[in-house]
Amino acid sequence: MSDPSVISRRMSEIGIWKKISSKRVPLSFSLEITARCNNNCRHCYINLPAGDTKAKGNEISVDVIGRIADEAVELGSLWVLISGGEPLLRKDFSEIYISLKKKGLVPTVFTNACLITKEHIEIFNKYPPKNLEVTVYGASEETYEKVTRQPGSYKAFVRGLDLLLENDIKVRLKAMALKSNLHEMDEIARFCRERTKDFFRFDPILHMRYDFDPVRNEEIRSERLSPQQIVELERADPDRAQEMEELCDKFILPDPIKNDKNYLFGCASGIHSFVVGYDGVYRLCSSLWHPDCLYDLKTGTLAEAWNDFTPKILRMTSDKEEYHKSCGTCPIINLCLWCPAHTHLETGQMDERVDYFCKVAHERAKALRKAVANK
Amino acid sequence: MEINVNLDSAYIPSDDVVAREIEGELIIVPLAAGIGDMEDELFTLNETGSAIWDLLKTQKKLRNVIEQLSEDFEAPADEIEKDVIGFVEELLKRGMLVEVAQD
Ligand SMILES: C[S@@+](CC[C@H](N)C(=O)[O-])C[C@H]1O[C@@H](n2cnc3c(N)ncnc32)[C@H](O)[C@@H]1O
Ligand code: SF4
Ligand code: SF4
Repeated sequence: MSDPSVISRRMSEIGIWKKISSKRVPLSFSLEITARCNNNCRHCYINLPAGDTKAKGNEISVDVIGRIADEAVELGSLWVLISGGEPLLRKDFSEIYISLKKKGLVPTVFTNACLITKEHIEIFNKYPPKNLEVTVYGASEETYEKVTRQPGSYKAFVRGLDLLLENDIKVRLKAMALKSNLHEMDEIARFCRERTKDFFRFDPILHMRYDFDPVRNEEIRSERLSPQQIVELERADPDRAQEMEELCDKFILPDPIKNDKNYLFGCASGIHSFVVGYDGVYRLCSSLWHPDCLYDLKTGTLAEAWNDFTPKILRMTSDKEEYHKSCGTCPIINLCLWCPAHTHLETGQMDERVDYFCKVAHERAKALRKAVANK
Repeated sequence: MEINVNLDSAYIPSDDVVAREIEGELIIVPLAAGIGDMEDELFTLNETGSAIWDLLKTQKKLRNVIEQLSEDFEAPADEIEKDVIGFVEELLKRGMLVEVAQD
């Protein structure tokens, strides 16, 4: 008998990553437990009003979530992301959270922190999350509430965040760069870094809404930064600029990608992850709303969705010659927000090019080539 | 904290952890606070550790666990005893096992 040992490892280091690299195992999944939110952010792809009774009525119960999570555990899931809308808006959030923990899942929670209560703190203290990720929409009341369109939300956010930090709950702060808060990005970054030293990131690209609401989509468009503004922000962040330069070879491939069959999907969705919406609808990833790609878990099983339904989607192809010449083989796709899901939200098709994404990607590539050449 | 491992006790997985087997690997997931030193932490057992863990789960006295392992691994019980006691001590220290005293 060799020596028995217990090895403590950071999550990223456990051996299963290597074991599953060539296999389909859903190591992580997301639960969007509600689409409702206490805020009404101008750029939001999902939010419905907090009091939307129809949306509330369609939310899957703790029991259904439990059944889906049991099946996920059976399939090998380890990590779960609880998001929304605003997950803390659900009165049964704590019950959902604890039940997922007790199944041996490791949860991360995405929240705006406005609704944090003492009860949440007690639960996060007793059953720690992997992370709590809080989005910071502004560093001043004026800007924050210009984005959230909810009077009083800045005070609620600061109160909630302070409560989390005072109680040593592990929080990560992040920002969304928008037209409405661009003038304050330096302050937002400082606000975040003062509170959580080891982590800050911002996301500068917006995609369209899940419900295709044309008025709301117009609002999202009006919040989009120009490609130049995006690149300027990214170059101004030394960590991000350096990381991009180090990975330059991955971002700008020397040749077009080989894709003779014209496959649509090339990411990890449906290979190592999946998403369940508030109404129990299974999707390969959060943004993939094409009607052919939805599976209702209220009437079917996760095993069926994962083992039978998903492989068919992963084999979907495009018959467009144009797709083959552009996004289907694009050597700078890793700098682009383009994917079949985002383009479907934008154009109603899964194989169209999106002009805005394309311009952002090319602007990024131009800046990156220049930076690397200057080194 | 002084830890005394008693061969006439059973040591079973604590309610503060959940053991998961994913792709043949035994992973111990902390449920409550205070199991790991870092938040971002999981534990894996090597093959021998996993074999011991599986036997501990059956709530047998440690003495019987050692006997069983000695048969399974075809090794003398006194050699195995040392390893098993060290292993159980470590898991007790980390709060992953609890002692169930036997009469
Ligand atoms: C939908 S929210 C849910 C969690 C929580 N309510 C929050 O705001 O953090 C998840 C993240 O998506 C971001 N987001 C919202 N609308 C977006 C869009 N149109 N494109 C990209 N990200 C968006 C939010 O800013 C937030 O960081
Ligand atoms: S707080 Fe989050 S879910 Fe709510 S409206 Fe803003 S981005 Fe959307
Ligand atoms: S939108 Fe343009 S940059 Fe993006 S993947 Fe398609 S061709 Fe490439």
